[in-house]
Amino acid sequence: MSVNKTNEIKSYLSFRLSEEIFAANVYKVLNILEMRTITKIPQAPDYMKGVINLRGNVLPVVDLRIKFGLPITEITVDTCIIVLNINLDGGSIMVGALVDAVKEVLELNDEDIEPAPSIGTKYNANFIQGMYRVNENFVMILNIDHVFNTDELINVNETADKLNTEEIKE
Amino acid sequence: MEQFKKKYVEEAVDLIADLEKSLLELERDFENKNVIEKIFRVMHSLKGGSAMFGFDLIDNFTHHLESIYDNVRTDKIKIDDELLNITLDAVDHLKSLLNEENTINPNFIHTHEQKLEIVKQISNKVLTKNTVQNVQQKIINSNYRTYHIYFKPDVNIFKNGTNPLFIIDDISLLGFSKAFPNYSGLPEFSEIDVEGCYIAWDVFLSTSEPFDLIKDIFIFVDSECEIKIEELASFNLMNDDNFCSFLTQMYNDGYKIDIGLIKSNIKIIENDFINKEISVLDNNRNENVFINREATISSIRVASEKLDDLIDWVSELVTIQARLSLYAEHNADSEIGSIAEEVEKISRRLRDNVFSIRLIPIENMVTRFQRLVRELSHELKKEIVFETEGTETELDKNIIESLNDPIMHIIRNCIDHGIEDSETRISKGKKVVGKIKLKAFYSGTSVYIQISDDGKGIDISKVKKMALEKQLITDDSILSEKEILDFVFLPGFSTAQEVTKVSGRGVGMDVVKRKITDLRGEVDITSEINKGTVVTVKLPLTLSIIDGLLVKIEHSHFVIPLASVDKCFEFKHEVFAKNKTNIIYAGSEHISYTYLRDMFDMQDITPEIESLVVIEFNDTKVGMVVDSIVGQYQAVLKPLGAMYKKQDIVSGATILGDGTVALVVDPIKIINKVIDN
Repeated sequence: MSVNKTNEIKSYLSFRLSEEIFAANVYKVLNILEMRTITKIPQAPDYMKGVINLRGNVLPVVDLRIKFGLPITEITVDTCIIVLNINLDGGSIMVGALVDAVKEVLELNDEDIEPAPSIGTKYNANFIQGMYRVNENFVMILNIDHVFNTDELINVNETADKLNTEEIKE
Repeated sequence: MEQFKKKYVEEAVDLIADLEKSLLELERDFENKNVIEKIFRVMHSLKGGSAMFGFDLIDNFTHHLESIYDNVRTDKIKIDDELLNITLDAVDHLKSLLNEENTINPNFIHTHEQKLEIVKQISNKVLTKNTVQNVQQKIINSNYRTYHIYFKPDVNIFKNGTNPLFIIDDISLLGFSKAFPNYSGLPEFSEIDVEGCYIAWDVFLSTSEPFDLIKDIFIFVDSECEIKIEELASFNLMNDDNFCSFLTQMYNDGYKIDIGLIKSNIKIIENDFINKEISVLDNNRNENVFINREATISSIRVASEKLDDLIDWVSELVTIQARLSLYAEHNADSEIGSIAEEVEKISRRLRDNVFSIRLIPIENMVTRFQRLVRELSHELKKEIVFETEGTETELDKNIIESLNDPIMHIIRNCIDHGIEDSETRISKGKKVVGKIKLKAFYSGTSVYIQISDDGKGIDISKVKKMALEKQLITDDSILSEKEILDFVFLPGFSTAQEVTKVSGRGVGMDVVKRKITDLRGEVDITSEINKGTVVTVKLPLTLSIIDGLLVKIEHSHFVIPLASVDKCFEFKHEVFAKNKTNIIYAGSEHISYTYLRDMFDMQDITPEIESLVVIEFNDTKVGMVVDSIVGQYQAVLKPLGAMYKKQDIVSGATILGDGTVALVVDPIKIINKVIDN
């Protein structure tokens, strides 16, 4: 099988935040942890949930729901912390991402991924690498490095809304 | 010997691979100091090992390579593509030198000599520039005499508590030396007394010290040893490469030193010595090499990454020990209780030991400052003495290294702006000779370094005027003296009337502050006009473990560094609830306090009895109200990481015995916050 850039198969881990499905490239994912007590750090932004103990090291945990401006749902048995390896300011660090549930690993060709619509705020193109359609729904594939490299909140709702409206038009 | 040789070859292969990698890294960025340092280090280790195991060709060859990179790292020559090519070629050559079969092949020897010549030429390129040093070195050389010392301690020497190796060390301190153990006195295995000393030593020493000084070394062991000291030559033999390799060769052949043979060899060298121009800076390098080699007897060089690793593991151990102690506490089993106690004791001691490995006395950097004062005061025609106190104070090696520049700068400021010239001093009725003092001391978990001068001090009104001009403050701002003095740490802020070569551009104090803050330290300045200025640098003693007081608010634990805790009190909640002023009478004084619960945005369900922890810094006392005090706790400080870099009242986190994370608060930041309010 010849492998070139366009039809290389990549694996993505999909997870649920509120009602939306997102995915991140699996090579960024180090670990999936069960929900555990998070120690809150005072005077930090809301989305910085706190820190946890990961095998003797301190791991910062980010609540992606707050970061993306999505409604907060209750913690259930499905709530997880995904440990990600992020490039930050030239170095690489580990970050935990709080998600409502981990779904599945998607094996996708590059051609399966549709480009992110250039609509709404300027962030989108940066944070969202592309879209993958499953039946009537979209999975937003995140550019995880960019997501964690900003202190700002990201409004993904706008993108989602826009998508849904486009969907209706079609 | 063979097995060691094999080990060496393995090591050398690794080193050469390392070298190659680093050289290629250097190709991408010629200015990368780290890589140059690394290259130099690798060459140095390669050289050390090869001499020890009789790979003299490699020893000699790397020696010249090392000289080149020593010049590169000290900016005496610039690295360029050509030099890099030659070095890479040399590295390939080193690989083939490792194969001993090659070294017998005459063709190979011929290429070796050619390559050696190229390398030699480059290493000499810069040497010629330093003619002054040349002359000096020659004078020193002519004062040298070379001795052969045969030293055979009594079999029972250990029983007196004497360690013959210390004597060898003492000898090596006198000059350049090489010591060879002589095993000829070793009895049959069955007759060996394990506590006896059967080894004698042949030491070759080149020194400029008088003969009596050598004899003095043996003064306490005179009666228990056989000692022969004989002058071999009236010049420095030990920096003669030929002689050294001859010695090593001879020793390796039969583990014996034949003095007759050596003497005849010396005759040849002696003639050479008179006729031959010696490459002098080369000798200078030799000096370092020999000192290093002799020093290995009493100390080992360890890669600092290994130490970092060790510290990491000890930190892990301390964390796991806390877990064990916690488990023991909740179990009625007295056996496990005593085990946990033992483990705690040992791990505490282990922790202290491991951390002390990285500590070096600040004395190491003082010499440099002494030179600076001497030269700069001379240049500016001021009379200044430099005094030091407490230079035995130890600090982490990494801290000391990064501390050099900032302290250098502070001292430079003292000399240039602080101390007046002689006439002014006389007219002010001060002693003619100015004084700069460096004082270091411990306090709690910090080390303080204080640099004071008795110069003219900083004119507060001038600083204020400058701040007004730069619109940092307005006319009606009310500022304390300390706040005004803090302006000197701002970038581009200088009250010096004229910019001198030495200082006054206002770049400096801000850099000093930034560098010291990077080390988790603080810098503080006080000054009195015409009396002098005191700059105090405060630094953390260790970078990773602190003794702390574990406290609890809600379900969260916090650690307060014990060094800053003054007293603890318990009060009923109403006392705080009714209090509107946030000042409480505790012990025998009024203390302003803060509700940590509020500061940390925590819920408002308070227990009936709360605790007040009084922390103190710089004579300022501030209380913190917490739910309860858990006890003393050894906290392994873990950084919060880049994601929390904006956070300041928490200086790190630590992992408790039960696996949860507790935050370590920074008492100074809390005090400042309370005072600001």
